[in-house]
Amino acid sequence: MSEISVPGDLLFEDARRLDGAYVLGNQTIASVICVKSEDRVVPLKGKYLPIIDDYVVGIISEQRFSGYTIDLNSPYEGQLSTRESRESFKIGDVVSALIQEVDEVNEPMLIEPRKLSGGRLIEIDAVKVPRVIGRNSSMVSMIEKYAKTKLFVGKNGRIYIREGNVELAIAAILKIQKEAHTQGLTDRVEAFLEFEAGKA
Amino acid sequence: MEKQILIKNGIRNDGRGILDLRPIKITAGVLKKADGSAMIEWGKNKILAAVYGPREAFPKHAANPNRANVNCKYSMAPFSSLEEHGRSGPNRRAIEIGKVAKHVFENVILTNQFPKTQIDISIEILQSDGGTRIAGITAAAVALADAGIPMKDLVQGVSVGKVDGQLVVDVDKIEDNLGTSDIPVIVSLRTNEILLFQLDGMLEKKEIETAIDYSFEAAKAVRALQIEALKNKYVVEESG
Repeated sequence: MSEISVPGDLLFEDARRLDGAYVLGNQTIASVICVKSEDRVVPLKGKYLPIIDDYVVGIISEQRFSGYTIDLNSPYEGQLSTRESRESFKIGDVVSALIQEVDEVNEPMLIEPRKLSGGRLIEIDAVKVPRVIGRNSSMVSMIEKYAKTKLFVGKNGRIYIREGNVELAIAAILKIQKEAHTQGLTDRVEAFLEFEAGKA
Repeated sequence: MEKQILIKNGIRNDGRGILDLRPIKITAGVLKKADGSAMIEWGKNKILAAVYGPREAFPKHAANPNRANVNCKYSMAPFSSLEEHGRSGPNRRAIEIGKVAKHVFENVILTNQFPKTQIDISIEILQSDGGTRIAGITAAAVALADAGIPMKDLVQGVSVGKVDGQLVVDVDKIEDNLGTSDIPVIVSLRTNEILLFQLDGMLEKKEIETAIDYSFEAAKAVRALQIEALKNKYVVEESG
């Protein structure tokens, strides 16, 4: 059974190192609003913190001689060196990139930039991205199947949607974001997609 | 002026007992654009708290490479009180309350997780009836939790006062103005720490000890309401 915990709530009687929790004495205490189900703790809200090897979707916010500064929907901005890309970008361009390195103050260096165009960009809560992706990316493939779209899901909560029924894909993603903490979500989203896709 | 009697047979001027809180209603997530927000109705107090961040520190030279800066602004609307408040800008009192609230949150937010950023907290008093600083901080704690900012604990508090020679919990405006002293206390129930303690007037050592016991007792009731408010936000979404 899962239940919502708030900061200061006791999660476990032993010391565990978890996201969204801290250790006080010999106990593990929640530090953010989260859902606890058995051994897992899933935060319900929070900003994206850059992690190595994450694929992210960013927006070019600054251009310099040596590279670009990229907004990542996070308190920290990404840096991209011109050496990493043969393409040149303009301010406002949407790019996907891989986080190669994160320094001691959480500032990421990006590599493998690719320009994304011809679609729409939406933003959701970064902590809900794993739900949108689903187990073995089952949720993403389901949305792609029903809405006939192509999705690029950045770990930072930005999703780029191309081709097909973009509106349906957006509606489904927003539904997942809203109900991310509930159980049996995959079935409900599938029913929703089936119904909505059937209408069109 | 004739001295007003505020407590008669253990009943206060608004019908409460000595240890009773005013009715409290908290709603989380009332502002769409803020990262986290909360509205509290504590008796006749009506307070809105909003949280933005963590976001890039501004100005840039203020950024601390070891932790996040916490900024807290307390402000009273010009129409918030019975008396004329005049212009609404920051005055001596508002700056002081903003400062003590900032110290409360610096001690509970895990600021070391967000170096070089800042977290902005706004507490806006829409209607005031005594005890706005503790109600404001209680609301801001809910707003911080709603924003998903990591904290050691959800803090809350109450003001204990001395009225007609007797200690009472949760003083309202009349009791504050006509009573002899008033102590706003903010506590963390997880660690049993006192995060804010101010004293207007004079009390004996023993009375202060009792006042602290009272405030920890009252904080438990307030915490239950805070948790309910945060959970309600997600329950509504589930059914809708």
